[in-house]
Amino acid sequence: MARFLFVVPPFTGHVNPTVPVAAELDRRGHEVAWTGLPGSTEALLPAGSRFLPATSPEVAAYVDAAGDRRPDVRGAAAFKFLQEEVLLPLAREMVDGVDAAVDEFGADVLVVDQQALAGAVVARRRQMPWATSATTSGELVDPLSALPVVAEAMHQARVDLQIAAGVDPVVAAEGDLRASPHLVVAYTTEALVGEVAVDAPIAFVGPSTLGRPEADDFPWELLDDQRPKVLVSLGTLNADAGERFFSVAAEACAGERWQAVFVAPAELVPDPPPNVLVRARVPQLALLERMDAVVSHGGHNTVCETLAAGLPLVLAPIRDDQPVVADQVVRAAAGVRVKFNRVKVPDLRAAIEEALTSTELRAGAEAVAGSFAAAGGAAAAADAFESLLPPSL
Amino acid sequence: MGEEITAEAVLAELDAILTEVVGDDLLLDGPLAMDTSFDEDLQLESIEFVALAEKLLITYGERVDFVAWMATMELDDIIALTVGQVVDFVVESLAAVPGGG
Repeated sequence: MARFLFVVPPFTGHVNPTVPVAAELDRRGHEVAWTGLPGSTEALLPAGSRFLPATSPEVAAYVDAAGDRRPDVRGAAAFKFLQEEVLLPLAREMVDGVDAAVDEFGADVLVVDQQALAGAVVARRRQMPWATSATTSGELVDPLSALPVVAEAMHQARVDLQIAAGVDPVVAAEGDLRASPHLVVAYTTEALVGEVAVDAPIAFVGPSTLGRPEADDFPWELLDDQRPKVLVSLGTLNADAGERFFSVAAEACAGERWQAVFVAPAELVPDPPPNVLVRARVPQLALLERMDAVVSHGGHNTVCETLAAGLPLVLAPIRDDQPVVADQVVRAAAGVRVKFNRVKVPDLRAAIEEALTSTELRAGAEAVAGSFAAAGGAAAAADAFESLLPPSL
Repeated sequence: MGEEITAEAVLAELDAILTEVVGDDLLLDGPLAMDTSFDEDLQLESIEFVALAEKLLITYGERVDFVAWMATMELDDIIALTVGQVVDFVVESLAAVPGGG
C-alpha cells in the first residue's frame, strides 16, 4: 500500500484523465489524493475524493479571473499570457501548499501534471519519487524548437522558479520540470503523437477517460438514424469564444444530408437549422458511439475520445496545445484542419463532407483507435505509477 | 543583381503571399499596411508562419532566411512583429552582399 498525491492545475482537461487512474490505484489498495486550487479544481473530482488545498481561496480566485480574461487572446500573446500570468504564478503560489500536502497526506509518490509545476519543484526539493502526468501531448513534441531564444527564456523562468523555492541552483538548471527523469505517463500513443522530444522514460497509456461515468439527459429520440451524424464541440473552456465559428458551422450544416449536434450554450446558436441540435452539455462518450465524424477545437481529451471511437475529425484549433494536437491528427491521416478564425461556410461544409466520406480518414482514425485499445488506459497508467514504488511498499 | 527592390514592391508581394497563406481573406479592416501586426491584427497561426517562411524563400531565394531570423526573436518580439519589419527584413537581406554574413 502506498500513497499517491496528484498535483493538478485548475483545468478540466488536466484533471479528468487523473480520475480513472486514481480510481484504479484505489482499487489496488493504495491511497490517493489531489492537491491544487480550492474551489474550481475540487469541484472536478468525484464526490468523496480526498483533496488538500494548495493555496488560499484568493489565489484560486485570481486564476479563475485570469481564465475569464483569456478568450480575447490567441497566438503568441496567448502563450505569453498562459506562461507568465497563469502557470508560473500558479507554480510559485502552490509550492508551499503542495509541500504541506505531502506531509499531511504522507505521500510516497507525486503525480505531477505538466501545468502544475509546483509539484515538480517540491519533489525535486524533497528528492522524492515523482512522475509527470502528460494529460496533453502538446509539451511532448517541443513546439518551440524553431524559437530557441523563447525556449531558453521559458527554461530559465522554470530554473528561477526552483531556485526561489530553495532548490540547489545546479540541480535546478538540470532536466526539465515538465518531464520527470523517473517517469512520464502520456495519455496518448506514438501512433498519434509521432516522435517525441522528451529525454525521460515514457509510458504511452492511451486515453484513460473512456470508462468515465457521464450525466445523461440527452434527447436520444431526436437523433435520426437514417442520416450521418456530426458532433461539433469546442470543449469546456472555449464555447463562449466560438460565436463566429458556431454561426459558420450552423450555416455549413443547413440543408445538408447530415444531422449535427452542437455542444454550445443555446444563445450562441440562435435559430439553428432543423438538422442541428444545440445542447449546452452532452454525454460525449455515449454520443460518440452514434456519431460518424466530429468537429473539434483540438482539445486533447475530445480528440482522443473521438479517435478511440474510430471517428475522423475536422479540427479548428484555437490556441495553446490545440494546433500541436491538430497537426498530430492530420499527420496520422485521421482528420483535416480548418482555420478557427477564418473558415468560411463552403470550406467547413467541404471539410465535414470529407470527414464523413473519406475512407482514408476513417482508416487513419481506426488505426489510432487500435493503438489506444492496445495501450491499456488507466490500468496501464496505474502499473506505471506503481513501478516507482520501492519494493517495501 | 542589377535592380534594387523597393519596400513598396515587397509590401505588395507580402500582401499576395499572406492572402495565399491564410486563404482568400485577411479579415483586416483596411489594406495590409506597414504597421499591421501578425499576432493581433492578422492572428497568424504558427503553421501559417511556416508557410510564410517557405513562400518568402521561394519568392526571394536563400538570402531571405525568415526561419533563421525568427529564431533570434524573443517572445515579445514575436508578439509585436509587424508587416513593416518583415518588409524591411526582406529589403535588407536582398541588399546585403552575398556571403558577407
